[in-house]
Amino acid sequence: MAITFSGGIHVDGCKGTNTKAIENMPAPEFVALPLQQHIGAPVQAIVNKGDYVKMGQVIGRNDNALSCPVHASVSGIVERIETRNSYVGAGKTEFVVIKNDGEYTLCDSITPLEKKVTELTCDEVVHLVREAGISGMGGATFPAYAKIQSAVGKAREIIINCAECEPFITANHRLLLEQPMDVINGVKILLIALGLKKATFAIEDNKKNAAKVLEELCCDDEMFSVKLLKTKYPQGDERQIVYALNGVQIPTGKLPADVGCVIFNAETCAAIYHAVVDGMPLISRIVTIDGDCIKESKNLRIPLGTAYRDVIDYCGGVTEDLSKVINGGPMMGSAQWDLDATVTKGTSALLFFSAKYEKKAQPCCIHCGKCVSVCPMHLEPVYLALFAGAGELDKCLEYNLMSCMECGSCSFICPGNVPIVQYIREAKDKIKARPKK
Amino acid sequence: MDFLKVTSSPHMRHEDTTRVIMLDVILALVPALIWAVYIFGTRALVLTIVSAASAVIFEFLYRLIMKKSATVGDFSAVVTGILLAYTLPVSVPMWMPVLGSFFAIVIVKQLYGGIGKNVVNPALAARVFLFLAFPSEMATYTSPFTKLPAFANVGADVVASATPLSNLKAGTAPDEKLIDLFIGNSAGCIGEVSILLVLAGGLYLLVRKTITWHIPVSFILTSAVIAYIFPGTGMDAVQYVLSELCTGGLVMAAVFMATDYTTSPVSSKGRIIYGIGCGLITMLIRKCGSYDEGVSFAILVMNCLAWYIDKFTRPRVFGGAKKNEK
Repeated sequence: MAITFSGGIHVDGCKGTNTKAIENMPAPEFVALPLQQHIGAPVQAIVNKGDYVKMGQVIGRNDNALSCPVHASVSGIVERIETRNSYVGAGKTEFVVIKNDGEYTLCDSITPLEKKVTELTCDEVVHLVREAGISGMGGATFPAYAKIQSAVGKAREIIINCAECEPFITANHRLLLEQPMDVINGVKILLIALGLKKATFAIEDNKKNAAKVLEELCCDDEMFSVKLLKTKYPQGDERQIVYALNGVQIPTGKLPADVGCVIFNAETCAAIYHAVVDGMPLISRIVTIDGDCIKESKNLRIPLGTAYRDVIDYCGGVTEDLSKVINGGPMMGSAQWDLDATVTKGTSALLFFSAKYEKKAQPCCIHCGKCVSVCPMHLEPVYLALFAGAGELDKCLEYNLMSCMECGSCSFICPGNVPIVQYIREAKDKIKARPKK
Repeated sequence: MDFLKVTSSPHMRHEDTTRVIMLDVILALVPALIWAVYIFGTRALVLTIVSAASAVIFEFLYRLIMKKSATVGDFSAVVTGILLAYTLPVSVPMWMPVLGSFFAIVIVKQLYGGIGKNVVNPALAARVFLFLAFPSEMATYTSPFTKLPAFANVGADVVASATPLSNLKAGTAPDEKLIDLFIGNSAGCIGEVSILLVLAGGLYLLVRKTITWHIPVSFILTSAVIAYIFPGTGMDAVQYVLSELCTGGLVMAAVFMATDYTTSPVSSKGRIIYGIGCGLITMLIRKCGSYDEGVSFAILVMNCLAWYIDKFTRPRVFGGAKKNEK
């Protein structure tokens, strides 16, 4: 019996790409690397226009704040440093544009680990992970080194999040099938760093073949276990995954570490392995390319900073009825307005949708309560939307607006086509913007 | 392709719209109608169509005259019209569902803002309005298989039949066997007589997840418990309980009326409390009131409480934040 949480929605998985092996996409002529690809403070450029940079060389860093350094994903000349509107979230971000010289000359500082992995201390692992610029690769992009630090002394168990509950995305699934040892070795490094003896792979039961691979590879190691989760959205949310595995609800405002867990995405673990053992920084990632408007759907390993239009060209183009380009999954990803936007550390998928996934009806709440029954946080979205729409911010807070993780289950299920999450986001912004009493 | 569309996530939606839900309800109501035509004749069908059509026309005209967006496309007016017809005796004149639809759609539903905003159930409010305004027409029932004209007014010469419910009220056992009551071989309102087919419709709605079990089950169970504790005379307790459940509009109301989205609570706990309240008031009126039937009044009263029940039955948030936590 697969385990799960209460609430949530059953979505058509649309995981047609789960048989598509990961291909390496060649880097385009130009890459544009934003200096903020993570949660925290932006990094500052340490290269100038006209500089020659090698692949894997640090081009931006900020050692004084929560941040991940950014590395060149190709070798070549810095063409320009420009400010663009952020593609994810509000505000502006600086981009370093590098002209690819096609040589892929590796930076000299990238050297394999000189001692045994088992002799590593926690601080060394944190340092290596930070220097490699690894942020959470499931989409939330929290700096991985800070997550390791937050778990020190608190976590009793590492959970490897392989749920991949968003429709369409199969990047983790393919990674687990093709390079499972990278993930497992990454987890071993984390176990050593944190001094733990327990790691659990949490994987949805629509990926039984990947679960089997993991079980066969870890069966003689009692530190590891593989747990099948029911295929349901948002199973991959940290709070829901901890509840499904351990039956514990993470208290509001607390972190998984407060209940003894630390959770890493599967691809993050693989990146940690390469960072620690090979010294390789995070300069590419696996992205699922899918949607009804892309000619060829694929799983690609794409150099960071590759523009969407280059990805489109590589996948044979898009059809005329393209209406939306989504960075991430269809439930929580953000729609993009510009094909010059680039693949970043948080891009788990690029989806090219026509209008067929939209509902046309004019929004009208019929008080059916479906949103209440699907809310994984046990909120009442119907009233949150009502109060948010009326500008009743205090009422919103009374109804625990801030506990909403914006998973979109309520908007998805709503027969009245009410954009509930949008209302909630607007109310959150207004609450954050209002002066403190 | 020059302009990409930017919206807030999620970018996928479930295929069920309000219209699909209403179509499901209509589908679930069809078996009861087929049965009504079988035992009461074509007149049952004509009344239902007149009621539904007039509900749609009133909704359309109101939105047009008040310069509001057209909403007949969501089919909720059709459902209201059908439900209203189902609560009428088959012998009522044709203008009565028209008047009832006007009351339901214009006064109860649209004056409060339309779908999703009315306080009480439009069909039930209209039924009670007609019941209080035209007590004799609304309390004249005909036996099954009485020949009635399909369109013309029914003359006074048609023999009125006592309903099983009025027998119960008078303290005697219904003349019909329990199985006849269950199948619907008895005098009563158009859509309410066949418990079996109403339940079949309810089962369909449950499978389609249009309704949840909470309200119908708590409503019917509460009524049964009350009937068991305070049994009638002249029959054993179990027979009495089943007679109470299989007469009048109790099951119809529990499945189709009390589960109306707009006028019932949204949380599971709230729905159970709401169902219990409906059952209690229904049985209170049946046992102590001056009317035979209490379900309409019971649901209308609970409708008025629905939003307050919601307010006091909020689910505990995941992670257990206190209700006022900022």
